[in-house]
Amino acid sequence: MVDTDAPPLLQLHRIRRTFPGVLALDQVSLQLRAGEVHALVGENGAGKSTLINILSGVLQPDAGHVELLGSPVILANPVEARRRGIVAVHQEAELFPTLSVAENMALESGLPTNKLGLIQWRQVETAAATAMSQLGPSWRTDTPAAQLSVAHRQMTQVAAAIEQQVRVLILDEPTSSLSRREADWLFSRIQTLKNAGTGIIYISHRQDEIFQLADRITVLRDGQHIWTRPVESVDPNGLVMAMVGRSVETGQTRSDKPQSSVATAGAPARLRVQSLRSGEANSKSVDLQVAPGEIVGLYGLVGSGRTEFAQTLFGMTPAVDGTIAVDGVSHTIRNPRDALAAKIAYVPEDRLQQGICHHLTVRDNLVLSSLRRWTRHGLASLSKERQTSHESVKLLGVRHRSIEQPISQLSGGNQQKIVVGRWLLTTPQILVLDEPTRGVDIGAKSEIHQILRTLADEGQAILMISSELPEVMAHADRIVVFREGQVSGEFDPSTDSASDVAEAAFPAGSAQRLAEATKTPATNKLPFHVPVAEWGLAFVVVVLTGWLWTTTEGFDPWMQLTHATVWIILGLAASSVIIAGGIDISIGSLLALSAAAAALVLRLDYEPIVTIPAAVLLAATVGIAGGLINGALSLIGRVHPIVVTLGTMTIYRGLVIMLLGGRPATGLPPLFLRLAIDPQSGFRGAVLATAVLVLAVHIWLQHTRSGRHIFALGSSPTAARLVGISGPRTWLLAFAVGGGLAGLAGALQLAMSGQMQSRLGSGWELGAIAVAVIGGVSIQGGRGSVLGVILGALLLRLVTSAIVRWGIAGEQVDLLIGGMILTAVLCDLGWQRIQPRVRVAWSQRNPQ
Amino acid sequence: MKRIDFRAGNLRRIATLAFPVCLLAIGLALVFTQVQRPAALVDVWLPWTEIGILSLTMTAVILCGGIDLSIGSTVALCGVVLGITLQWQWPLAAALAASAGCGLCAGAFNGGLVAIGMSPLVATLATMAFYRGLAMTLSGRERFAGFPESLRSWQSVSGIPLHFFCFAFIALATWILLHHTRLGRWCYAIGDNRTAARFAAVPDRRLDLLLYTFNGAAAALVAVLHAIDENVAIPDAFRGTELQVIACVVVGGTLITGGEGGVLRTLTGIGIVTHLEIGLRFLSYRFPLLTPNSRLVAIGLLVILVAVWNQHLQRSEDSS
Repeated sequence: MVDTDAPPLLQLHRIRRTFPGVLALDQVSLQLRAGEVHALVGENGAGKSTLINILSGVLQPDAGHVELLGSPVILANPVEARRRGIVAVHQEAELFPTLSVAENMALESGLPTNKLGLIQWRQVETAAATAMSQLGPSWRTDTPAAQLSVAHRQMTQVAAAIEQQVRVLILDEPTSSLSRREADWLFSRIQTLKNAGTGIIYISHRQDEIFQLADRITVLRDGQHIWTRPVESVDPNGLVMAMVGRSVETGQTRSDKPQSSVATAGAPARLRVQSLRSGEANSKSVDLQVAPGEIVGLYGLVGSGRTEFAQTLFGMTPAVDGTIAVDGVSHTIRNPRDALAAKIAYVPEDRLQQGICHHLTVRDNLVLSSLRRWTRHGLASLSKERQTSHESVKLLGVRHRSIEQPISQLSGGNQQKIVVGRWLLTTPQILVLDEPTRGVDIGAKSEIHQILRTLADEGQAILMISSELPEVMAHADRIVVFREGQVSGEFDPSTDSASDVAEAAFPAGSAQRLAEATKTPATNKLPFHVPVAEWGLAFVVVVLTGWLWTTTEGFDPWMQLTHATVWIILGLAASSVIIAGGIDISIGSLLALSAAAAALVLRLDYEPIVTIPAAVLLAATVGIAGGLINGALSLIGRVHPIVVTLGTMTIYRGLVIMLLGGRPATGLPPLFLRLAIDPQSGFRGAVLATAVLVLAVHIWLQHTRSGRHIFALGSSPTAARLVGISGPRTWLLAFAVGGGLAGLAGALQLAMSGQMQSRLGSGWELGAIAVAVIGGVSIQGGRGSVLGVILGALLLRLVTSAIVRWGIAGEQVDLLIGGMILTAVLCDLGWQRIQPRVRVAWSQRNPQ
Repeated sequence: MKRIDFRAGNLRRIATLAFPVCLLAIGLALVFTQVQRPAALVDVWLPWTEIGILSLTMTAVILCGGIDLSIGSTVALCGVVLGITLQWQWPLAAALAASAGCGLCAGAFNGGLVAIGMSPLVATLATMAFYRGLAMTLSGRERFAGFPESLRSWQSVSGIPLHFFCFAFIALATWILLHHTRLGRWCYAIGDNRTAARFAAVPDRRLDLLLYTFNGAAAALVAVLHAIDENVAIPDAFRGTELQVIACVVVGGTLITGGEGGVLRTLTGIGIVTHLEIGLRFLSYRFPLLTPNSRLVAIGLLVILVAVWNQHLQRSEDSS
């Protein structure tokens, strides 16, 4: 079936890649033919992920090169890789959580547009529906991606990848969270792609899949290429042996290792965990015991539930069920401080994110968890901290220049020793270490192992989590294997063989999978997708209008709408920035600045027919310029936009006062005022202009690429980068549009009020943000609609005029605005908290 | 190679520290070359000690990765509470307690919102409007004047205004808190890497609550000081104070994202902003262009420049 004589589709030549202290890939060569499924297997840490990242343009190789169809290519970034037809589907799917499934799929390949530059939503929908229909109607394509399960997110990515013109498809553990039926769908798609000539690199821990799908198999171990063979000449046992390889030797050398002197069979358990279960969905109960002086190796693949178990033990994800007893005393552990009190220590797996405080000194990092010991009446003692730190670094053999140097200057291994040392200072009884030697050089590795053995000999109970089989075989007294959230076996490294341990860790064959498939709910989407914010708001606005109309004399809804126009435009200005994930609190000042500039032009002694368009144009230009300055400053300095715009807020306000010279500007041409509201004919130009503007913004946000990119950027900057959306450009665009709209709002306000004061618009940024937030624009970015903003502005206007009419003083507007922002954000926060629970509850009530 | 890197890092470090000192020197030079009667400076400094007190407690909040935009509104609210309770004929002690309690509650409410996961910027932006609205509503836009003589008599202690004692006390308190207590150590850890701090069993949410409450208490203190000095509490006062306060903190060299900075830096920052403003005000007698408004613009510019510069320094330090 595969033409072996054709030039290879993709060729990797002696790829080498190092990370600080670690050689991740060493002279790895790989060849992928067109129409081939090439399985890549190896333990965690063998270098598969690095290889994929190099192929998909995320990482660059230190040496070696990549050839596509015989010609060398440089895959400088993910966009470049995608452009050349290399698409990777990662285990952790990167999607835009606030956007619909259909749009997520379309963004992968670029949104289709017609001649006018408008997005063809019908085409997007059809494409998504076609891709989905092959799966059966399991979920709607208009659901936001955030509501999908992990499996469905992954399938969405696969489906999207298939939709594109793919030359090379890289699938990283694609079936790890799929049910049997879903996996079968995937396999049939792979077959179709194969026939079309696509080369597929397939990474999986499941042997049955590999033997069912693959044409050839390549084994990686410790960053080295072990062998590549056609699937016919490989037998399952040989594959496991090739993957874990070295363990056979280490298993033999193990007998030289000094046996722990304290660990004896009869000793009472130091740690006893019974049917411990975390609150996460699909969590299973775990029983475990560790004796004093024992090192228990927790072996399992990434995602097998080892880390989740450890973090439940440590109180990061509190247990909902089960007991934890230390030396026979049971403890309730709700947070890490409880764990500390129970003498349980946890050295986290991700050192950079969870372990160290980068800019703090070695000493600060060391004493962080044991500060209570070095403080008296809350006062810290620097001399005691120093003395302790000196002792610790000496004991742990940390190579450092000074204990007062920032920890980020130390090598990975030494940083890790500091984190271990931090917990040793709390005198724990139980030490849990999650991948203690990941990203650590060989020398430090063996030193860390030595430290652990010494600790065990002193009577501590040690749980060492690792995905390196040789490590647990050589350094643990007992091995507990995790698989799919449960303990799947217990082994004695001195008697049991490495391949037995490995077999217990790797997921089993299809029979068991099928059994599990029936357990996992096929879908947990809500049966309906309602824009809650919009409908609820519309209802409130209608009821409030009706009530005010009937109860208040002289209430004119038409007038209310006219007065709400400025708020609508300013609300849209705030929204366009917030949707992109930023915030601009200078829009009030920007409105005033634009209005001031416009007022100056209007007062010139020319024909109004010339000055009016010029003034409006100038207002918009000033606004856009101001917005661009805000966006550019936050981009250049990478300072949060609120700080930048807090500064520019005063600057713009200062410019207003300078322009006006401290006096209100009056004497605007009457025609300009009549254009907004004409008292004689009743013509409301303000409403007309706003309607046009609102429509334009709506079309831009909903139906053009640049508008959707604003949503995409706010939804997930990482995913946006992966699909080739330029972050800086989109960010600037959002700020420019926001500023421009604020400028136009300024011109409108000028026309409606007929005069310009230097205080105009001060504090209005709060109102604008309130309008946006009430209108359902998510303050986290990526979500919002023009309709919602209009309704938010109307609501604000109605409530304001209501309290004024009820004789309550107007000064309560601030109170109202603050309260409305708080309520809206709290509702949003609450909804996001309960949403997953609602989904789980729904799927339990309606099993498919 | 390594040696050169190290030196470059050191140079940057020196530059970071020297930059604010240079600014301070410029500010001081501006003031002292123009002042006619140095004794008059005491009165000129007085309002700035209020900003200073707020900047010091704000330093703790910012170091911990937060921010409090509602600080000006909180001061106004506390002032109104003091005025209104005295109008109700409450005894002075009770009125002072009410004002302090109001500050504590306002701060704790901010802290609570942040602790449940709201972004500090958004939470305090909302409470900024909310507290201002409360102050306006409670007072009915009325200013409270004529505080009792017993309160006014505290204005100065043996000839030195009470303001300076309070400023010194708060400076000492925040210095001890941030640099010599467990809480201070935790504060830096949280500001540097909140996740890692949480994994090191640091009670981050409790600390949030505490620091914002402390900030609210400082606001109440400033409100009382203001009432003592000016004999008036205005619900519309202290607008834009948050900018001046953040300016002092940022210009001193504390990172707006947290984790780096300290009380000494903020004291420098307070010195810079104060003396630049006062110096420019003196200059404005000769150059009419330097209106109060253009001075505000200058401070706004300074904040942006320094914030961008400091962030840039830290990034280049990270990448080296």
